[in-house]
Amino acid sequence: MAHSNKSVEDPEKEYNPVNYIPHSESHGTKEVWMGFWILLGLTLIDIAFYFIMPANMLRNSIFIVLGVVKAYYIVGTFMHLKYENNKLMLSIIIPIVFILWLIVLLLYEGDALSIME
Amino acid sequence: MATTTVQETESIWKGGRSPFKVSYGKLMMWFFLLSDAFTFSSLLVFYGAARYSLADVWPLPDMVFNHFPLVGHYHLPLFFVSLMTFILIFSSVTMVLAVEAGHRNSHKEVGKYMLWTIIGGLAFLGCQAWEWSVFIGDGAKLYSNNFGLTADGKSYAEGLKVFGHYEWSEGLRTAGPAQFSSLFFLVTGFHGFHVFSGVVLNIIVYINVLFGTYERRGHYEMVEKVGLYWHFVDLVWVFVFTFFYLI
Repeated sequence: MAHSNKSVEDPEKEYNPVNYIPHSESHGTKEVWMGFWILLGLTLIDIAFYFIMPANMLRNSIFIVLGVVKAYYIVGTFMHLKYENNKLMLSIIIPIVFILWLIVLLLYEGDALSIME
Repeated sequence: MATTTVQETESIWKGGRSPFKVSYGKLMMWFFLLSDAFTFSSLLVFYGAARYSLADVWPLPDMVFNHFPLVGHYHLPLFFVSLMTFILIFSSVTMVLAVEAGHRNSHKEVGKYMLWTIIGGLAFLGCQAWEWSVFIGDGAKLYSNNFGLTADGKSYAEGLKVFGHYEWSEGLRTAGPAQFSSLFFLVTGFHGFHVFSGVVLNIIVYINVLFGTYERRGHYEMVEKVGLYWHFVDLVWVFVFTFFYLI
């Protein structure tokens, strides 16, 4: 199905699924490269902690926190979710609560897993 | 223009236009990725629970994933997997650059960056194939492995320095928990399958770019949609890297 390339007078009408034409403004590559350097830097910090610190709970928490920060930059900058419509952003972010709930459940019920031994 | 005025006074949730202000395809890609995030987090959360409950006998990741191609038996934990991480992050960057070039309708640049993304994906898959072959060669099976350390093995592992030469002799290693190798195969295999599908989708889009399909269509949103999938694969790898190799 070929979309027509006609101009749209009414900006709100642009989001009609029938005659929708995606906006095509470029935000430049500056933020992309900044995201890349941040991800690279965070990974290097991960590696540095891996070799410097002894393995313990604090080091594991640092790795998880850095992982979440990396996820923020991948989803926000690379996947562009920061700039999407607010409703879309919330409908993607809010269900993540269920993942947190799963973690809580398994921490609470984790004892039952000892039968695996 | 009378119809437009009527539409505007109606609630945006009553149909006719997208309240999310994105196309159907892109919205569904987001919802698919959300469901995929649930699948991967279930796998990773169970990995964490299994590992925690077997913490005393769980093999040390640095004593298992310490190989690097062509250098022999030197203790190089995390080196190869960091290389894989950099390859995947970089291919994610070339993917964003392809999307950005698509916003400028720059036919040539989209093709160039898509090709780099495909090369990055194939390089990652090659690395993973090597990683698996070494893992299997070392004695990992789906339901058993020999990565558990005996008391002698633990003191041997503690004395081992990074870049140091190592040799597994009798009595250092013993059977490890089955979950160690089966979860490794399951989670990295499932992720690798996602990378493989991503490469296939990227190749399809690349061929379409070469044929000028999106130029005729007037927009490169398809590049953006496969781009979302590709970044998600990178996102999952961040957590696989954290839980399987770092922790």
